[in-house]
Amino acid sequence: MAHTLSTCTFCGVGCGLYLETAGNQVAGVYPSFSHPTNQGRVCVRGWHVHEVASSPDRLTSPLLKRNGRLQQASWDEAFAFIAERLAQIRERHGPDSIAFLNSPRCSNEESYLLQKFARTVIGTNNVDHGAGVYSNNSIDILLDMLGVPASTNSIAELAQSEVILVDGVNLARRLPTVAGAVIRAKLNGARLIVVGTRIHRVAELADLYLRIKPNSEALLYGAMAKVIEDRGLMDLAFIKSRCRDYEPFLSQLHTYDLVHAAEGCGVSADLIGAAALAYAGAKSAALLYSISMGEKSEQNIQALVNLALITGHLGKPGSGIYALGEQNNVQGVCDVGTLPDRLPGYAPVASSEARAAVEAVWGTKIPATPGLAARSVLANRGNGKVKALWTVRYDPVSTAFVAGVRESLRQFELIVVQHLFMSETAQFADVILPSTAYGEEQVSFTSSDRRIQLAAKVIDPPAGLTPVWQQLTRLARLMGADWNYSSAADVMHEIGEVVPFYSGASYDNLARDYGRQWPCTKDHPMGTPFLYARPGAHRPFKFVPVKPPPPFVAAPGFPLMLVCGNSLYYWNQNVLIRHSETLKREYRMLFLDYPEGFVELSVEDAKQLGIRDGEKVRLCAATGSATSTARVAAEVMKGIVYVPYFVRDVQEQVLGEPGLTHKLVPVRVEKEEMA
Amino acid sequence: MKARILDRGDVLKIVDLLRRQGFEVIAPFRVRGRDTYFDAVSDQNRDQVEIHFNNPYYPPKRYVLPHIEPLLTVKRSNGELQIEPAYEQPKRAIFGIRSCDVAGIYHLDLFYLGGKFRDLYYENHRKNLFLVNLVCSDPERDIGGECFCVCADTGPASRDHFDLQLMDLGAEFMAVAGTPAGEQLLADSIFRKAAAVHVERRHAILDEVRKRFKTSTSWFSTTVRYISHNEVLEKTWEEIGNRCIECGGCTYVCPACTCFTVTDRQTGAGEIERVRIWDSCALGGFTRMAGGHNPRRAVHDRRNRRFFRKLAHYFIQRELSMACVGCGRCVDVCHGNIGMPSVVEMIRRATSSQLANGGRAGDPGPTPQPANSGRAGDPGGVGRP
Repeated sequence: MAHTLSTCTFCGVGCGLYLETAGNQVAGVYPSFSHPTNQGRVCVRGWHVHEVASSPDRLTSPLLKRNGRLQQASWDEAFAFIAERLAQIRERHGPDSIAFLNSPRCSNEESYLLQKFARTVIGTNNVDHGAGVYSNNSIDILLDMLGVPASTNSIAELAQSEVILVDGVNLARRLPTVAGAVIRAKLNGARLIVVGTRIHRVAELADLYLRIKPNSEALLYGAMAKVIEDRGLMDLAFIKSRCRDYEPFLSQLHTYDLVHAAEGCGVSADLIGAAALAYAGAKSAALLYSISMGEKSEQNIQALVNLALITGHLGKPGSGIYALGEQNNVQGVCDVGTLPDRLPGYAPVASSEARAAVEAVWGTKIPATPGLAARSVLANRGNGKVKALWTVRYDPVSTAFVAGVRESLRQFELIVVQHLFMSETAQFADVILPSTAYGEEQVSFTSSDRRIQLAAKVIDPPAGLTPVWQQLTRLARLMGADWNYSSAADVMHEIGEVVPFYSGASYDNLARDYGRQWPCTKDHPMGTPFLYARPGAHRPFKFVPVKPPPPFVAAPGFPLMLVCGNSLYYWNQNVLIRHSETLKREYRMLFLDYPEGFVELSVEDAKQLGIRDGEKVRLCAATGSATSTARVAAEVMKGIVYVPYFVRDVQEQVLGEPGLTHKLVPVRVEKEEMA
Repeated sequence: MKARILDRGDVLKIVDLLRRQGFEVIAPFRVRGRDTYFDAVSDQNRDQVEIHFNNPYYPPKRYVLPHIEPLLTVKRSNGELQIEPAYEQPKRAIFGIRSCDVAGIYHLDLFYLGGKFRDLYYENHRKNLFLVNLVCSDPERDIGGECFCVCADTGPASRDHFDLQLMDLGAEFMAVAGTPAGEQLLADSIFRKAAAVHVERRHAILDEVRKRFKTSTSWFSTTVRYISHNEVLEKTWEEIGNRCIECGGCTYVCPACTCFTVTDRQTGAGEIERVRIWDSCALGGFTRMAGGHNPRRAVHDRRNRRFFRKLAHYFIQRELSMACVGCGRCVDVCHGNIGMPSVVEMIRRATSSQLANGGRAGDPGPTPQPANSGRAGDPGGVGRP
């Protein structure tokens, strides 16, 4: 037996935990007491994170499609096939006919090499991560407004926040360790403000719960900013010395009206005022949101950041913005450049200066045109231009927030899949390269609070399996590139050369304590627990005027609002959850109750419509209709019909078109009469 | 019981003695910071065994009740099913097990072996298990901030259920045998007779240590009475439940928690493995019945179950002790500060003040809920119509 410190690979919190091994099996897992983030705690997913490695249904041999069927092949055959086909397709259709998508669960090293492979070996910027279909808007907004696309403060610092505002996310279910930090802060005297339509555990504990109508967040935060400005509670010194564009923001703010906003949000003006005063009056205040929610609009995030700027709640312990990722490495994957329009370190691909800096390290040209985003590749193959798709640990068929993925996959000429399991996407593959799992390789991940940490190799992988970064290296060499990485640490060394804020993050340094929070540079190798401690030379922060969003207008005959979103049910599709006995039971329970999926109704609406839980209902919109099973739930707000995104056929039939919509759609619910 | 004395430098020779007798010896080690763990002693790590340490978080109960335990395999061959049980019968010793964890294993014994049906898998692990208990004698290093064994009446020195007990007296250690097997070990030449002065020193140290606990009393008895008489207010249970994020941690780290689930997993074509896995009453699926009905769907209904099981008179009478050993792990592991001592206090305060104010004691009955409503955040959904 042995016990090794590692990192939980479930969500972006990045809890420290120990893996216990017996022989070549991971026998147990338990949280680290001394890890600064989780301090001895971990959620139900962390308690079972070790079960994936021991799953009996792992893929152990490369598979190659022959005569329409996937058959076992040798590694040499598989690699030769991929190299030949990629070269052919590039020759025939150009480099931009090939696209690369990885999972936001991929390690920093494999993500870095994947984008390097795309950009240098193939010569395309068509590289994105799976969460890109919804989380890249947070990156762009934070880069634009704050200059750094990440949470500004450490999760452990929530203990020092006087006020905590939680926007939308059901923390207890989706980011439980953060929920715990919030609950304990509240027990120790912090004031808790929760915003969102659905009731959840943390909302029930809130001092102020603003149960607003869907999509009215931007209106609410604008109204709060208006109250703060009216009362003169803004931090003018902070605004003057550190922010730009206050004036245009202010003139836009003056179009907000508290009473009008109260009506639009569906909460009282008093409550909005109380939330604004609590937030502005605190010595330290934190804003929390999830970057992994498809239903979050740009304006929502911009309005949140404006709130932090107008009150100066940045640059102090426990005072800042928490952009929380629900996949363990959504932060790191973006940091190292798995983005179609940004290079490692977030410099824009379109900038020749930025390209030159990276080209100097790589010794190869980088194409100047930004690539296709994941949504475009998955929805319609970039209008049919993309012929080959490469996915790493990614299963868009079951997890992407995009409709029509199956149809797109059928039309690719080549699909390469690197995965542990025969996923639903893998069934469309022409080649599958099975790879090592958590616990079988040493790699690094970056948490939502910028902590770059090592996940340890504690057991040997099944015979023949290699890490994804090694497979990419082998293929790059086969296709003529001069890649010489002999360890994941080598890859991290190169990441440090192209990503300035990773320059001090050598494996030696990361192994010393519990990882390091970036910026972790050669000059500051101990890392940075919270950002903006020292005022910068110029004004780094920027206000963005946000127009009040238009109110929802119910159409005659369609009195309810249809909301499509991933909500908490997202996790039922996750690989770990599917492979852990306990998690499977806990997170897939609803599928036992509602095997054909469900749409959710509030208790009030259901009563009024005479619909009982479990009954068949018909959902009608102007654009179409669909039948489903009703789930009557207290957490759903009156007036809303909620459709989890994985019930795609219902969405498609009702909306008349595939795909995610931020719009609220007026609908009517009817009881479906039994035939 | 026989008491013997040995030199400080000879303590780890007990590990050597046991290893020579063919035991796999499990002992505590330190990783970094506050993190410690139990692991098998080998020639390489023998000198790193810790004597005074923060009690490892991951409890030694897993040596009798593994986190995941294979029970049997079923294979189909030639149209017949072959069922092979997976028994493991190790000869194992745990060196340095704390008094709270000794009490925990005794509690598991009562559950798995004390009734009409003996659990064969448990018995196989337990049969040859040799326990070397270490008394918590160093207030700085042995006693954690959340330890409360003095209130659970299990420590700092076990009175029973160990094979051998060691206590640090300074330059020397005292060894006490609890079983004939322990007594046999005392025949080795490293041990010598104890004198009255040693016994006095033992008492003096224990008297001092008992004063050094942060939590000196948890007011268990009052709370046991309230729980046993069903006098805990529904709103107190709700308050407790609202702080639970259903991680299961308190049950996983609890030395006295016994629950497991059994599941089959496919290991190959026509081949399955049946395993049992630690389970937790915090989780919704724990009580969910086939067909969807869940008698304990709301979180607070599940949480009160935990404390009822541990503190109700009915169970105490059956097992002659509370199912809490005072190790404090559930305090450290809990996201919402509802470990045992704080729950005991919440119940005691709320119920006492209700009774003092002349309010009716007892449960006012289930809170009326709208028909067909699930509680917020509860994915268990609702009972089928």
